[in-house]
Amino acid sequence: MLSSINSRAIVPVACAVTGFVIACCVLLYTFVKDDLIKGEIQHAADLSDTIIKSTRYAMLHDDRESLSNIINSIGEQNLVEHVRIFNKKGLIMFSPDTQEVNQFIDKSAAGCNECHAGLEPKRSLGTMAKARQFTNSDGNDVLAITAPFYNDPECSNAACHFHDAGQSLLGTLDIGVSQDPLKRTLGQIQNRMIMFSGMVLVLTVGAVCSLLYRQVFLPIKQLADFTENSSSDRLNVDFPEVSGEVARLANAFQRITSRVRELEEQLHHKENGASPPDSLS
Amino acid sequence: MRQAGPQADLKQVPGREDLRQRIEARIRRLERASGTGLWSMVLFLAVSYFAFDGFAILPDLSDDVRSMLGAPPPGEMISLALVVYAFSSIVRTLARMSRNIKPYMGLMHAAFFAAFYTFYQLSGVLQDNFWAVFFAGISVMGLDNYYLWAHSNEAIGKERALLESMRRGGEENV
Repeated sequence: MLSSINSRAIVPVACAVTGFVIACCVLLYTFVKDDLIKGEIQHAADLSDTIIKSTRYAMLHDDRESLSNIINSIGEQNLVEHVRIFNKKGLIMFSPDTQEVNQFIDKSAAGCNECHAGLEPKRSLGTMAKARQFTNSDGNDVLAITAPFYNDPECSNAACHFHDAGQSLLGTLDIGVSQDPLKRTLGQIQNRMIMFSGMVLVLTVGAVCSLLYRQVFLPIKQLADFTENSSSDRLNVDFPEVSGEVARLANAFQRITSRVRELEEQLHHKENGASPPDSLS
Repeated sequence: MRQAGPQADLKQVPGREDLRQRIEARIRRLERASGTGLWSMVLFLAVSYFAFDGFAILPDLSDDVRSMLGAPPPGEMISLALVVYAFSSIVRTLARMSRNIKPYMGLMHAAFFAAFYTFYQLSGVLQDNFWAVFFAGISVMGLDNYYLWAHSNEAIGKERALLESMRRGGEENV
């Protein structure tokens, strides 16, 4: 089966092109996914910055009721899975979930161990390192980000406060947003890429293969059959309908066989001692 | 010119036997070369099997070893290298096919794709990129091994035809 010219020429190339296109699609999907996740992390980081700036005034005035209202309002948003503020010791001070208020956060949990892995906790992290992805107890995929409340001069100098100037970190905001929209978008991109890749493969591999088969391999096969099976009596009867270089080849073959037939007839007449026919003289 | 006398036949037989043995040795070598491609494919599939689990069979690298190795390359750079490698390999194999140059017989591709799995694993993005390496490997090694197999089979066919013609020539001499 693999000895025919079309299987030797088409099948390996078609398989190689198909494999390469699939590999490139997987890589492209990975790139798109990474870019979308980075965008989502940046969006969550911007959101956490907005919350920190929004709560700044209430914190400076030690207005815990306003702070609690702000956190509760943010927690009511559809895509916000959790939002909490905890102090330097890890005690949760504000959260829409009243059950977790005054509970200690687990420092070894994902998101916390980025800073608390070593003996000395890290003072600052890049935007991407602040983010973590996990599945919460409700089974929802969550992208969470932590942002520190640093001790500014206004905080340590405020008359109502007790933070001293040597304390660098006052607390941390932890906000988690649902990844459902991101998952839906990635699913749509995946389906569209599969569809378009399939169409591109069908068009390129399929069209090139069918054209090659119709224009090159089939005429060659017909010509090969013709040269193998034709007898000198049938040369003008079963001549295949071909064009281009294959037609030139077929015509050349036909001329050669005609000439051979003529020479054979000439020889035959010479042997019999008869005069050759007019057409040969 | 054929030497027909008995003296000539006696002189010719040892040379013919030597040639026959050399042809048979070439056939065996070609068959082995054809099998090498199959073994490289088996090796690649075995590495892929372990890579699918994230090389769970291997122990985790210690912090000392990680710090000695340094920071892993970013996933984007590995992907770029993978695309360039797969593309250039396919083009090179197609060029060799079109010019009928002797194919590679080594395990080079299997080693390279195993290295890609390793780099992705060290960068922590193997899970996302496993299928890209797998399909790139299958297409590159499939094409390469197909050419090796076809080239070897063609050469074996020629050698066997030569053996057959020698056998016929020997019978005619007898």
